[in-house]
Amino acid sequence: MSYATKSPWVIHYDASSCNGCDIEVLAALCPGYDVERFGIINTGNPKHADIFLVTGSVNERNIHVVKEIYDQMLEPKVVIACGICACSGGIFHDCYNVIGGVDQAIPVDVYAPGCAVRPEAIIDAVVQGLGILEEKAKALDAKKKEGE
Amino acid sequence: MIVELLAFLMIFPLVVAAILLVVRSNGARKVIVGGSALVIAVASLALVALYLGEGRVEFAFSSEALSLACAAVDVALCAIVIGYAVRYKNVLAGVLAVVMIALVLAFEAFFAHGIEVEYGFYLDSLTLLMVAVIGVVGSGICVYALGYMEDFQAHEPEGAKDRRPLFFALMFLFLSAMYLIVFSDNMAWLLTGWEVTTVCSFLLIGYTKTDEAIRNSFRQIIMNMIGGIAFVLALFYTTGSLGILSLEEFVTVGNAFPAVAALPAVLLALAGITKAAQMPFHTWLLGAMVAPTPTSALLHSSTMVKAGVFLLLKLAPVFAVSLVPSVMVVLVGGVTFLLCSFMAISQSNAKRVLAYSTIANLGLITACAGVGTPEAIWAGMFLLLFHAVAKSLLFLCVGTAEHHIGSRDIEDMDLLFERMPRLARLMMLGIMCMFIAPFGMLVAKWATLVTFVNTGQVALILLLAFGSAATFMFWAKWLGKLAGIASGAENVEGTVHRSEWIATGVMAALIILCCVGMPVISWMIVEPYVYSVYGTFAQDISNGNLWMAAIMCAFIAIVLFASLGGQGKARRVDVYLAGVTAEQGTRRFINSLSGTSDATARNWYMESAFGEKTIRPVGEVCCSVIIVIALAAACAGMLGLGL
Amino acid sequence: MYGFETVAVTIVATLVFAVLAPIVGCLLAGLDRKISARMQGRVGPPLLQPYYDVRKLMGKENASVNGSEGVYVTCAFVFTLLAGGVFFAGGNLLLSVFLITLSALFFIMAAYCTRSPYAEVGAARETLQVMSYEPMVLLMAVGYFIAAGTFDTAGVFSLDAPVVCTIWGVLIGFLFVLTIKLRKSPFDISMSHHAHQEIVRGVTTEMSGPTLAKVEVMHWCENVLFLAWTALFFVWGNPISLVVAVVVALLVYFLEIFIDNNFARVKWQAMLKGAWIVALVFGGVNIAVLAFI
Repeated sequence: MSYATKSPWVIHYDASSCNGCDIEVLAALCPGYDVERFGIINTGNPKHADIFLVTGSVNERNIHVVKEIYDQMLEPKVVIACGICACSGGIFHDCYNVIGGVDQAIPVDVYAPGCAVRPEAIIDAVVQGLGILEEKAKALDAKKKEGE
Repeated sequence: MIVELLAFLMIFPLVVAAILLVVRSNGARKVIVGGSALVIAVASLALVALYLGEGRVEFAFSSEALSLACAAVDVALCAIVIGYAVRYKNVLAGVLAVVMIALVLAFEAFFAHGIEVEYGFYLDSLTLLMVAVIGVVGSGICVYALGYMEDFQAHEPEGAKDRRPLFFALMFLFLSAMYLIVFSDNMAWLLTGWEVTTVCSFLLIGYTKTDEAIRNSFRQIIMNMIGGIAFVLALFYTTGSLGILSLEEFVTVGNAFPAVAALPAVLLALAGITKAAQMPFHTWLLGAMVAPTPTSALLHSSTMVKAGVFLLLKLAPVFAVSLVPSVMVVLVGGVTFLLCSFMAISQSNAKRVLAYSTIANLGLITACAGVGTPEAIWAGMFLLLFHAVAKSLLFLCVGTAEHHIGSRDIEDMDLLFERMPRLARLMMLGIMCMFIAPFGMLVAKWATLVTFVNTGQVALILLLAFGSAATFMFWAKWLGKLAGIASGAENVEGTVHRSEWIATGVMAALIILCCVGMPVISWMIVEPYVYSVYGTFAQDISNGNLWMAAIMCAFIAIVLFASLGGQGKARRVDVYLAGVTAEQGTRRFINSLSGTSDATARNWYMESAFGEKTIRPVGEVCCSVIIVIALAAACAGMLGLGL
Repeated sequence: MYGFETVAVTIVATLVFAVLAPIVGCLLAGLDRKISARMQGRVGPPLLQPYYDVRKLMGKENASVNGSEGVYVTCAFVFTLLAGGVFFAGGNLLLSVFLITLSALFFIMAAYCTRSPYAEVGAARETLQVMSYEPMVLLMAVGYFIAAGTFDTAGVFSLDAPVVCTIWGVLIGFLFVLTIKLRKSPFDISMSHHAHQEIVRGVTTEMSGPTLAKVEVMHWCENVLFLAWTALFFVWGNPISLVVAVVVALLVYFLEIFIDNNFARVKWQAMLKGAWIVALVFGGVNIAVLAFI
């Protein structure tokens, strides 16, 4: 296992969530689930984060924000769509302003459906994400070595 | 040979000044100023080189004619002041000038006769240090003024009279007077040099003739006249009761018999305090900013205020044994350091920050002189040296920046690192030298702190500790403003005059040389002076630590000029704006109305805590009370002695 | 005689410090997170979590806002190491203090040079923090000199009793500002190790990947040095005192973690006033009493 998977720092962005999933994300950090056991920290800063947790669907307005946060994260990085709205737009999919799931804006690596998504599901998704992170880290390493 | 060199240094600038007064062509002036500045610098350095490491050398020279000439100059200077006072209807300045004339005449008529100073001129390492500062920094500023004054004249309204001949003549006259001050052992001659610098700066401050300039120049002359009068009164006493006119002799007698020398020491210290712009007399130096920047640089770094601390350092052996003058000088210096450092936090005008920092640092030198131990003098001399080089660089940089970005406000120096890359780095070097280890100024402050601890000056330790913290605040935030980097800022540095680059480059080189060569300077110049006065060696900081500081200085200089601003290998990214960036490389973002907004930031000034309004009265009252009590105590002491 | 051997000894000590301090500092940081988690009723990360974090950061992509911030951070790091070297070489305590201030300045400039709004606010607050703790830290060095008769830290080994016996007031004052220096709540106003804060991550907002790793390691070294300053109060001629000093330093660290977990952040006015009043009352009075006796 590379170090990338031992200290996954997340950034959480509420695209247009009803706050249901947001509360579950925060619940995962609380003593009940205590994800810091796995080195997971909720940073407020894309430049420090490895994993991008998005809750809620993407709309005309926040799509630029989602894209910008994604762009500002450094490689290797993983995107996790938390909750059904983030996965596909959910019950809001046909609202006039809603574009759809997060994958309409940026490449998503793991989908964690649910309304609201349960903390166990989030943790499970993050663990899956770590596998992808590991692969990406290795690819980046290889690229770096090639560069040299 | 040496005597000729001394005479040359005093007379040559005088001649240059006279020539400059009549030369009206700009090209000719450039040649004369540049050439003679070089000559003065070389002659000064030659003198330093010839006498490096030697103890005190005295030159048998006494001249009745010179004494009379000095008295005549004194009177003439007062006449000039009276002339201005009448023209601008300033009663106080006029009255003080009349009093001064009366005192000078009385002194010549009743006191000076019969007292011979056998060795009129002398040289010691403190003088050499001053000679180097005046010769290199002072003439460097004159060179800088060439380019600066051209721009300055261009900014003047159409048809304004070109008064530059007078300006440059005054600058060189200033240098001549400074040499007279540092070479003379005869206090009457010293007084003449003292008064010449006072009146020169009076004329330079009033150079632009605006209402503000005239007002500030009168404030300067009134405060310094008080100092001048105190000086003459001290001479009355030393000649009248002690029969002494030699500074050296006075210091020796004062050191041996503290009681008899208390009153004249207090008076001379008062003269030094006014000239060194200590509270409550600090406002004249703040007012002096209205003058063209080279004037400020000259007043702040190498001349004028340095004459004040020079005299105080000379008197240090008296302060070391005499309680009343010592307490006065120590407290005034310490309080000034603390409060002026506080007030500097609340200023956004770069020149005003520099002015407050000058006053604060002079306060520290003053306090060192007041403590009067060998270690304190070691620290004081280094403070004097580093302050001179760093402050002149800073003033010159601010002056150039002002002409190219159109403001002297620190907030407007945002992005200077990109807009004027070379200048910003020079400015950063100057700022760092003023306040942070391992640069000279801080090493000297370090020695000061050790001295205060060794002598048990608890009040001074506290004043220094809190003052230094404030110093960090106001310099660091300025430095931060300069350090900002954003792509796409337009470079406006192309039009800076060559003379300005030469002067600032010389100052920067001097800073680095002095910082790196600090152990050598200590060994060659500062230690010999301390030894010649006290007969002991004194250095509070071990050579090992000095060398360590020297290595680090070199390291930082390399980082500053060679590594910063490079592109590096890293991928370029925009700053985080917690939303959508509107334009790459800027701080513009899409706001909630889909328009764009700019994120802006100002430094902290903490007006409510450190504003002038709150702090200035405290300092003025404190220091005035200290001075009045000291004067009263000294007078009472004299009466007690008489009874 | 010319002092070159001091320079040599310091360089050697700096290298040793550069190797050992990150190890100790890393363990301390891990301990901090573990203990904090327990105080909050959580299990907490493994002890080596800070090490994993730094290794991960070093493996991240290298990106920055401009080419200068990395240079500034490197300078800050180097001077922190040098400050440690000076201290552990038995050198001048004041020099060690000054070098830490220099390091703080470079750290502040690294933040300013990015021109990020959040980093700038953080840098301004950091400047204020330096101004708050600086008087007390200077008084700490002065107090040490008065008690030990020398500024050299090596001087403690010739004492009959630890300096804390005479300058306990200074120690109290120093412990107060230590909270600011360790960036613990209630004085973590320039940047916080806790999740969210109103200025994102303050000073380190724009620092990422390898640069942030450097910052983390620098903080470990700083923490070790600050605790060593504290331990200095408890060392005397007896070798056992070193054990005592280490125990005390660990206790102090535990105290700081306790404070960190139990206080909400204060405003800058409260920090400045508090730190200066404490410096004046505990440091000033203690030194004045010693000077006049």
